[in-house]
Amino acid sequence: MHPILKDRRTLALYLLAWLIPGLTLATLLVTTVRASWEGALFFSLPGTIVYAFMSLSAWYVCRAFPLPGADVARPLLAILFAAVLSSGLWLAACYGWASVLQRIAPGLAPGERYAEAVPLLLSFGVGLFLIAAAVHYLIGSQEESRRTERNALELQVLARDAELKALRAQIDPHFLFNSLNSISALTSTDPSAARTMTLMLADFLRMSMNYGALEMISLDQEIAMARHFLDIERVRFGSRLTVRFDLGEGTLQARVPPLLLQPLVENAVNHGIAQIPAGGPVHLRTERIGPALRLTVRNPADPAREMPHNGGIGMRIVRQRLERLYGTEGRLEVEESGGVFLAAITIPLHP
Amino acid sequence: MRVMIVDDEDLARGIVREYLASFPGFELVGESSNGFDAVQAITELRPDLLFLDVQMPKLNGFEVLSLLDVRPKVIFVTAYDSYAIKAFEVNAVDYLLKPFSRERFGEALMRVTGKDEPTGHDDIDALIRTTRSPATPLERILIRDGSRVHVIPVGSIDHIEAQDDYVTIHSAGKKYLKLERLSDLEASLDSRRFVRVHRSHIVNIERLVRLETYAKDSRIVILADGTKLPVSRSGYEKLKGLL
Repeated sequence: MHPILKDRRTLALYLLAWLIPGLTLATLLVTTVRASWEGALFFSLPGTIVYAFMSLSAWYVCRAFPLPGADVARPLLAILFAAVLSSGLWLAACYGWASVLQRIAPGLAPGERYAEAVPLLLSFGVGLFLIAAAVHYLIGSQEESRRTERNALELQVLARDAELKALRAQIDPHFLFNSLNSISALTSTDPSAARTMTLMLADFLRMSMNYGALEMISLDQEIAMARHFLDIERVRFGSRLTVRFDLGEGTLQARVPPLLLQPLVENAVNHGIAQIPAGGPVHLRTERIGPALRLTVRNPADPAREMPHNGGIGMRIVRQRLERLYGTEGRLEVEESGGVFLAAITIPLHP
Repeated sequence: MRVMIVDDEDLARGIVREYLASFPGFELVGESSNGFDAVQAITELRPDLLFLDVQMPKLNGFEVLSLLDVRPKVIFVTAYDSYAIKAFEVNAVDYLLKPFSRERFGEALMRVTGKDEPTGHDDIDALIRTTRSPATPLERILIRDGSRVHVIPVGSIDHIEAQDDYVTIHSAGKKYLKLERLSDLEASLDSRRFVRVHRSHIVNIERLVRLETYAKDSRIVILADGTKLPVSRSGYEKLKGLL
């Protein structure tokens, strides 16, 4: 939608502004071709109003040839061409209006004298169109900056939403209550183990809260958090859960968004180990593959039960975060075969 | 009163054992750490009261109950499961939320032993129905064969045949008999994968190879293993809609 035609107030202001060229033209006509004041006004005011509307077309030229573009010559030429063209059309319209005046009010008609004013009208038309184009460029750039600002704001809101959702999903209530139940059970049988478990849980919660508030943390920190989580789960699952870390050289300094691995590790425990009576190993591996960092979590899975591949809320959040942070360079792949479930995140090593 | 504990976590069983020891008149007769073992142990040991965890490997607590012919009194134990808790409230079943106090444990124990009747079949069936989210169709079918439990993922089912009050489930060349009505089973299966082609037949649509017409309104489907099944007129309409 044309920014000036969008609402009536702007249009009224715009037409009011065109009174200035209208009066200027009348004055010029009086001084150069010695027209009468009434005659000049009757000719110039309707003429300029018509031209006001014609000049609105500058908007489309401005849109088609944005400034600053790759080269400046093309938009300038285009506008000049449009200016000459609309000025010519306007002249024809003026001529038409003059003949109408001739017929209905011969006293006011411009008459033969106006033939001398043709060059004046032409250059006047070109000049006005150029001014209109400049104004439209100004409006355009203003709208553009407002739009960018709005987009940035929307993105920020989206990001915060995703972050909040992620945070809510981060600490699984199951995990928390089950850990508390383990502590409750240990209190009477093994008080020092109960204390150790309490401290581990506190450490984990503190870490997830502190790191969760940051934009990026080191992979080292992320791994430490996963280790804490698995240590706590090992108290709960006993010999059913074993843990193996394979940390590739030069990966631990990499920057990663906080709690990136957490949903994968939770998934491995809740939908993998917890579903198998004998349990098994959770294997976490980090490696460099060219310019990329690859993080893999592998766990045994009950073949009779389906692991949540894409449907799980945790996996969905991981995908959303990767897409928002890395675009097409970040991805999550999951596969299940022969009773082994594998989830792998690939992100740029140096984004 | 003879008591059994079913929970996959050692520590979680430990706290129930510990609390139970301080209440006279209860004898712990067995513990199970997964659903399969639980079904077998409960069938053999016949406890009067069951502490039953909801989330367990192989079979969850509700599935264990659904496989028992004789159901003991039950106190469910769970850490957090909004579905289950809603179902417990609706069906007035006793439950404990982990972690729980000795007092809370005692209350549940007194309440459930104060009742004359064990939790009825209808109550449990209603409970199982309410815990199953209506949006998620059945993923596997459980069949008990003596003290053995067969788990049949729905993807491995070829077709299902009605026989009076029973259904015969054909899966990978084997047949399993289950006490259930075909219409109930039809309702809980994913209607995009399983089609009732006839009054007494449900077909896994992935196994379907061919649809043949003999005469007007007389059709049969041929499955991947060569099985031929009759198709009713309404069955044909459903198939047409899906294929």
